[in-house]
Amino acid sequence: MTDPRDPHTHDEVVDDLVARRDEAVTDLMRSPPEGADGAFVDHYAPGAPDADAEYEVALESLSQWQLARRRFRRHRLAMVGLVIFSLMLGVAIVGPIVQPYEFTNIPGASRQGGDPPSLEHVFGTTREGRDVFELVINGARISMAVGLFSMLIAGFMGVLVGSLAGYFGGWVDNGLMRVVDVLFAIPFLFIILVAARFFGQGQVSSLILIFGLLSWPLIARLVRASFLSLREADFVDAARAVGVSDLRIAFRHILPNALGPVIVAMTLLMASTIILEAFVSFLNFGIQETQVSWGNALANAQSALILGNWWWAFFPGMAIALTVIAINFIGDGLRDALDPRSRA
Amino acid sequence: MVQYIIRRVAQAIPVLFLIAVVSFMLMMAAPGGPQAQFNQNPRISQDAIDRYMARWCLERNPDLLASLRSFGGWLGVWNCDEGGFFSDQGMPNFLPEFLGGGDNGLLHLDLGLSMSTNRPVLDLIVERMPATFILMGTAFLIWVTFAILLGVTAAVKRYSLFDQSVTLLSYIFYSLPTFWLGLILIFIFAVVLGWLPAQGIVPTRGPTFNSSAYWTAFHQAPLTHILDMGRHLILPVATLVAVNIAADSRFVRSSMLDTLGQDYVRTARAKGLPRQRVVFRHAFRNALLPIITAVTLEIAFLFSGAIVTETIFSWPGMGRLYIDGINNRDYFLVMGIVLIGSVFVVTMNIVADVVYAIADPRIRY
Repeated sequence: MTDPRDPHTHDEVVDDLVARRDEAVTDLMRSPPEGADGAFVDHYAPGAPDADAEYEVALESLSQWQLARRRFRRHRLAMVGLVIFSLMLGVAIVGPIVQPYEFTNIPGASRQGGDPPSLEHVFGTTREGRDVFELVINGARISMAVGLFSMLIAGFMGVLVGSLAGYFGGWVDNGLMRVVDVLFAIPFLFIILVAARFFGQGQVSSLILIFGLLSWPLIARLVRASFLSLREADFVDAARAVGVSDLRIAFRHILPNALGPVIVAMTLLMASTIILEAFVSFLNFGIQETQVSWGNALANAQSALILGNWWWAFFPGMAIALTVIAINFIGDGLRDALDPRSRA
Repeated sequence: MVQYIIRRVAQAIPVLFLIAVVSFMLMMAAPGGPQAQFNQNPRISQDAIDRYMARWCLERNPDLLASLRSFGGWLGVWNCDEGGFFSDQGMPNFLPEFLGGGDNGLLHLDLGLSMSTNRPVLDLIVERMPATFILMGTAFLIWVTFAILLGVTAAVKRYSLFDQSVTLLSYIFYSLPTFWLGLILIFIFAVVLGWLPAQGIVPTRGPTFNSSAYWTAFHQAPLTHILDMGRHLILPVATLVAVNIAADSRFVRSSMLDTLGQDYVRTARAKGLPRQRVVFRHAFRNALLPIITAVTLEIAFLFSGAIVTETIFSWPGMGRLYIDGINNRDYFLVMGIVLIGSVFVVTMNIVADVVYAIADPRIRY
């Protein structure tokens, strides 16, 4: 029945079945089924799809990750998010190459506070006459890069520290967790602002490093918690009994099983980092003025807002909001797919 | 219980010490070093700078020992005037003043002097606190109340139209950048409609908030001043509420769903108790446990969470003070705010644990 390469396929499927049954039962008790999500399928009605048969197949051929992918594809909002996110990523990659306006050629606005949207400038222009559409397209690259790469740094650091602390325990755990405690106690925005202002120097790469190196504690805590419980699992004992090395147990046996919540947390971290970068650059603490990110594009928009010039602030902000909503949808889908027991 | 509290406080002390180390190192490592702030102010004489540096044991190019000395001076362990661990009265410097200790450093509630304003850091912080607490307190009460109402209703009517709209709206508001939402609200309600003031806590022409002139005027006509402040509060509070209610209502909903699915809820319904009563007596009261913890932890960030909103609305609170401090390279001010903010977080963490232990009789401590 079970796949010998992956001792958790069977547990996973059984857990999923149990969770689904529980949910169906509690739903039935509380309210009459309505809507697509709550629809109750009577598997015993003649001609209805047989739930057991479906899982019989799953047991035969699907791995943990294949099951997760299938659950993810069924998540409608996550698919919407994925489409929007891919679109934005595409804009970030090819946008600056094919952009319709010259980046350095600033034509000058014909009225104070910038021109309203027109056929020539679909998103209007800034006070200096810069095209806002061009700002949004160029800003995508830096905003997405900051979000993506600092997420990867935070993920790497978090997994490393969390697994070391969780696997070895004792004084390693104690020492590392004190560091985490300190980083958690200092209000995050405080330390980010100081670091960005004094050490960022307007460089994209240093901002990425700052965001990444300051946001890993959250992930480290998650990884540590999973390690602490999985360390006692039977399959780890089995691996240890046959003489598998510590390193291999930690990274080949425990880590893959702890990865679900981590991936979800990393996705949500990327979303919040994009907002954070926007705010830091909005305060002129982040990206230099010679480069463009979404937050940077908003930096002087507040003064223009007072003149009734809404487009300068509106469109870059919409770009941030859309991307972040998309990423959060993806994160939600991933949570349902990878971590079905915790439904927030 | 008392023992538990003492243990938690004792555990917090090394964390607080490490926080002090981190914030001190950040400032010392910042380009320009501790005297960078003087570059911003050409009117300060060289003599005044030297006296200031000596007062805080600061040096121009400190080696490791010199840095340790100035950290000790900031902490209050080291006596900067004499240069030693002992105060002028010959007692250890870290003791309180009335026991013969020194008068410098954190341990003597002296956070240093803000160079850009030439005033003690602690005075500045205390002066700005009321504005932040008025803003955050109002917003906090509103968002917690509505988050609980929305979350519980959404959980009870799971998958209904109401639940799904709350879910969708909370997703959208959760994803909006706070500062951008603030800008849009200013544009709509202050610029286009002209209903509400866009900036500040008091009218720009009147006396500044929390000055003595303001309070005299306040005592002459309290109601007008309160109403006026209310008008100034609406937009920033709306911004804060919109973003925070999104996350919190989701949390209340999921915690409520957890308890609604418990066996004792099913049993209570099966016994024939009315649905309303089961929802509030059995499910809600138990769902409150994690909510209380989460809300207590949120209070910790009321202090720092206002940075974004205060910047957008020119609110004269702690957040703006912090940003100004960074811009002026006013290191003692920045260190002081970071430290007080962290002490607040650590304290509320302990309070959350204690409240949880009191609220949940199952907890053994």
